[in-house]
Amino acid sequence: MGEVELSCLAYVKMYLHGCLFPRCSVNGLLLSSSPAGGAVCVTDCVPLLHSHLPLAPITQLGLTQVDVWCAQTQQRIVGYYQANACVSDNSPTPCALKIADKIAEQCNNAVLLMIDGGKMSPDYRVPPIVMYERKDTRWTLKDKHTIMLRQWEETREIANQLLDSGDHSLLVDFDSHLDDITRDWTNQKLNAKIAELASPANVCTWMSRVEK
Amino acid sequence: MASVSEMYDVTWEEMRDKLRKWREDNHRNSEQIVDVGEELINEHASKLGDDIWIIYEQVMIAALDCSRDDLAWTCLQELKRQFPGSQRVKRLAGMRLEALEKYEDASKQYDSILQDDPTNTAARKRKISILKAQGKSAEAIRELNEYLEQFVGDQEAWHELSELYINEHDYGKAAFCLEELMMTNPHNHLYCEQYAEVKYTQGGLENLELSRKYFAQALKLNNRNMRALFGLYMSASHIAASPKVNATVKKANVKYATWATNQINRAYQGNVTNRVPGC
Repeated sequence: MGEVELSCLAYVKMYLHGCLFPRCSVNGLLLSSSPAGGAVCVTDCVPLLHSHLPLAPITQLGLTQVDVWCAQTQQRIVGYYQANACVSDNSPTPCALKIADKIAEQCNNAVLLMIDGGKMSPDYRVPPIVMYERKDTRWTLKDKHTIMLRQWEETREIANQLLDSGDHSLLVDFDSHLDDITRDWTNQKLNAKIAELASPANVCTWMSRVEK
Repeated sequence: MASVSEMYDVTWEEMRDKLRKWREDNHRNSEQIVDVGEELINEHASKLGDDIWIIYEQVMIAALDCSRDDLAWTCLQELKRQFPGSQRVKRLAGMRLEALEKYEDASKQYDSILQDDPTNTAARKRKISILKAQGKSAEAIRELNEYLEQFVGDQEAWHELSELYINEHDYGKAAFCLEELMMTNPHNHLYCEQYAEVKYTQGGLENLELSRKYFAQALKLNNRNMRALFGLYMSASHIAASPKVNATVKKANVKYATWATNQINRAYQGNVTNRVPGC
């Protein structure tokens, strides 16, 4: 099918979500601020849950709230991600398929992304993700060559920096928001930190460090 | 790197008391326990008296959680030296093997504990944890059920079983486990709310009504439980919208849903960035 591009912001937040709750399965929604048609550009993500993923009420609530927020901010829900607690098994669970199906009803080329926990290490050479797309009624593995993550090394460095500095604890998922509603599940603060780290000046400093 | 005592300006007594509090509350903040505990052990061991043994145990488990096998090993050695032949220390050795993914060896360790003491619940639960770690959910569920036939009052086990059933989408059985927990913990709002979520997920008018009742009960026990508040709104709305209900029931549920919406809006008041869409 079509090409999918994953932005630094989306990847870093997804990755940090998995790191923040290493003992739980986590999931979230993939968003795009680009118009429909052509390649799918995943520009952002909203981390949803880290407990009771198969239960309906909070998932439905999260989907509704994100949907409305997207309408207000000219974004669309274009996919779903999940990281399983059991790192040896990164296949989509029934609830992952169900939610992805729902998203596909509204979005033609929706993607289902599984984070491969077994491959999450600071210096892994390729992004630890597996993507699925919908062909007829089934979710099939996407050709790796149609998945683009621009500036992968810089993105990886940003994720590592945030982990080292402990800033990954700034990440708020929908579950955490319900525990304390003053916490912002759109993660404006963390977004700003990531944007800062992704600025050209910072990138040059690391690339010289990485090359040494 | 600055020490914990320097960074937070705390004394060793305060660090020791913090560790005790985390122990008593059963917190799994392993990175913090490792930071505080390691410093306490390295710098102040002599001052801790007999407390040191339970601290070794606590720090060892936290170290395993953070892949700090070096620290876990040190703690284990100290405990082995002080309590040779102890079942409790044997279990810790088993946990270390689990952390290293040496499940066969860990299982043998627990089997040897059970040979000497067949009622050792800790060893039995560790064996079930191994099954869970290996992704063998069906077996874990079976073993846990057998365990609960003998140890019917083990709350932790009932809760673990409910989680396993939820992951297998066996909501009926998950509900049964939560019913057990609610019976023995009638004031726990979290069990009520989880039970309501399971009922909601099962779907159908009867289950939705049950779910609404239990969301309401959870709110009665804790009126700040946002999940219960949203759950009440959603279940009442769904019931009101159902073609199967008569006008009286519909009216009542619209009332509940409206009440819930008002409570939700009140809770979010002043928090402009998080208006409640979709209500």
